[in-house]
Amino acid sequence: MNLFPSMMAQVVEESFFKKVPGPGLYGLLALGLILGIVLCLALSRVPSNMRRWVIVGFTFLAGLPYVAAYLWPTPVAADFQTEIPRNGVEKVGFFLNQAMDPVGTITNIIQGFLLGVGFYSLVRIHYTKVKRRQENWGFSIVLLTCFVLMAVIGLWDWQMRTFVDTTGALNVRDNWTAVNYIQDFLFEGIYQQMDSAMFSMIAFFILSAAYRAFRIRSVEATVMMASALILMLNLMGALTFAQGNAIESLAANSNNMFLMNFKINTFADWLRSTMQIPAIRAIDFGVGLGALAMGLRLWLGLEKGGVT
Amino acid sequence: MFNWLEGQQYLDTGWVGVFATLMVVASILFNIRRAEKGGKNLFIRRIAGLNAIDDAIGRATEMGRPVLMVPGIGALDAISVQAVNIFAQVTKSAAQFSTPVRLCCASAAVYAYAQEVIRDVYTEQGMTDRFLPETVQFVSDQQFAFAAGVSGMIHREKVAATFLLGAFYAESLIFAETSNAVGAIQVAGSTQSTQTPFFIAACDYVLIGDEFYAASAYLTRDPVLVGSLVGQDWAKIFVACTIMLGTLGLSAELTQMTSTHRSGNKMVEVSESSEGKRTEERKKGADTVVSRIFKPYIPEEMTKDRFTREKKPVPEGAEAGGE
Repeated sequence: MNLFPSMMAQVVEESFFKKVPGPGLYGLLALGLILGIVLCLALSRVPSNMRRWVIVGFTFLAGLPYVAAYLWPTPVAADFQTEIPRNGVEKVGFFLNQAMDPVGTITNIIQGFLLGVGFYSLVRIHYTKVKRRQENWGFSIVLLTCFVLMAVIGLWDWQMRTFVDTTGALNVRDNWTAVNYIQDFLFEGIYQQMDSAMFSMIAFFILSAAYRAFRIRSVEATVMMASALILMLNLMGALTFAQGNAIESLAANSNNMFLMNFKINTFADWLRSTMQIPAIRAIDFGVGLGALAMGLRLWLGLEKGGVT
Repeated sequence: MFNWLEGQQYLDTGWVGVFATLMVVASILFNIRRAEKGGKNLFIRRIAGLNAIDDAIGRATEMGRPVLMVPGIGALDAISVQAVNIFAQVTKSAAQFSTPVRLCCASAAVYAYAQEVIRDVYTEQGMTDRFLPETVQFVSDQQFAFAAGVSGMIHREKVAATFLLGAFYAESLIFAETSNAVGAIQVAGSTQSTQTPFFIAACDYVLIGDEFYAASAYLTRDPVLVGSLVGQDWAKIFVACTIMLGTLGLSAELTQMTSTHRSGNKMVEVSESSEGKRTEERKKGADTVVSRIFKPYIPEEMTKDRFTREKKPVPEGAEAGGE
């Protein structure tokens, strides 16, 4: 599976953000590299009291395309990749839409570099633990060994599948080599199983948390316990059937249809639709507004906390 | 004046979303300005979970154990930044008592950000030497590997207090219950409404919903943050009013009879019902003003042939439709 030809074939048109491979693109790459080095050097010489303004400026520039794209009128039924804008409004709309991908790519590249910083932190902490024979240093050896083993075998396997196997033969288990088997054992046989084991442990944690939460110690806990009980009983088919029949007969005999509201599944539905969903929506509204305010403060450099 | 039907000014989702967003933004900026100018003393109600921070740090100091902080497993976004900002305040208090802190990150970007922020806090307190490599650490970007790593740390270091603030998912209960098992005080808050019940069940103090975003303003009383909080409250009142008006308007309209009826993209005439019963002639939810505000009715005839654009020429040798 060689990716390069298919990537080349995907370039169908040239725009401000996308260039067809050729001398122009290589020139721009060289220019970008030089500008990047100059920018890094300049940033390293920025005095610490100017750091805030550098961060604020970059944050504003990074957020601007998204804000502009949201506020600018969006053309109806436009195919931004294959169509030509008809007027100035559409030209700007098309330009902003095409800016989304490059901005996202820049973010991904920065995150890729930061992943290296994260791995460096992990290795430094555990290497120091092993070196100084600190408490529980044995676990650190396990971690570092697994880290190296998984990285080496994983990359080896990827290299074989991407660059060596051009016919897709390795998609069939019979053609696997020792490396593919080891990779499969490490990833599918160990990692995925341990991941699933962690997930399944949540069931026991739910049980112990529910036991503590539903102990009747206060009015709130009692209300929660009662609501939970009704919703749990609602899931028991035989019980809801029997209780529903009993309520229906009672309502028919007494000619009082109001009693029908006391069927367990009716009451449980009422709890969900009248109590639970409005509360969740109200919380979501608050969270959404909070996120908007936080985003606005960050974008405009009004946030005083953090590195600014 | 733009005419959206002529193609000069048109929005595919209507103007309401943008208008409402701009109203919210305006109310936030106005109140920030008001607070900065030293307007009247703005009140924030008591939030129990945030008052417990000092108690939790005091307990950790007495026991000589660390304080653990987890900003969720989300990427570097407004939620993570807010969580780290709260942790900066927690670290400030902890540093004053020389209580060790552990901030575990699942995202490398959050790790890099948190490292800078927490290092700055120690520097401000004149305790740069107390900022150790393990104070802020990256554990794993895989959900349950991260959960296992942090749980192990909680058990091994017997943390005295845990602050779980940020975007949590299925791993929330693993952290909360493990902390409970070692007897730690837990202050938690998640922006995920699906995880908040788990935290309420398992933790000592929980920040619900936008209390999470109010935390910075509550702890620092910074005019910008307090003003922003008041702006959010204005926006909430605005939203609540529109919900009330919308509910009343929708209820009133749904009881009316209509002489026109939507059928696909066309409006067809139907007869009035005389008995006032809910029949086909009664106005549909999709025909009400409230519905049309959010979903403008644009007949197909009005858009047909008006938005035809020329196609870009496809370069030779390139596969068509490769994008």
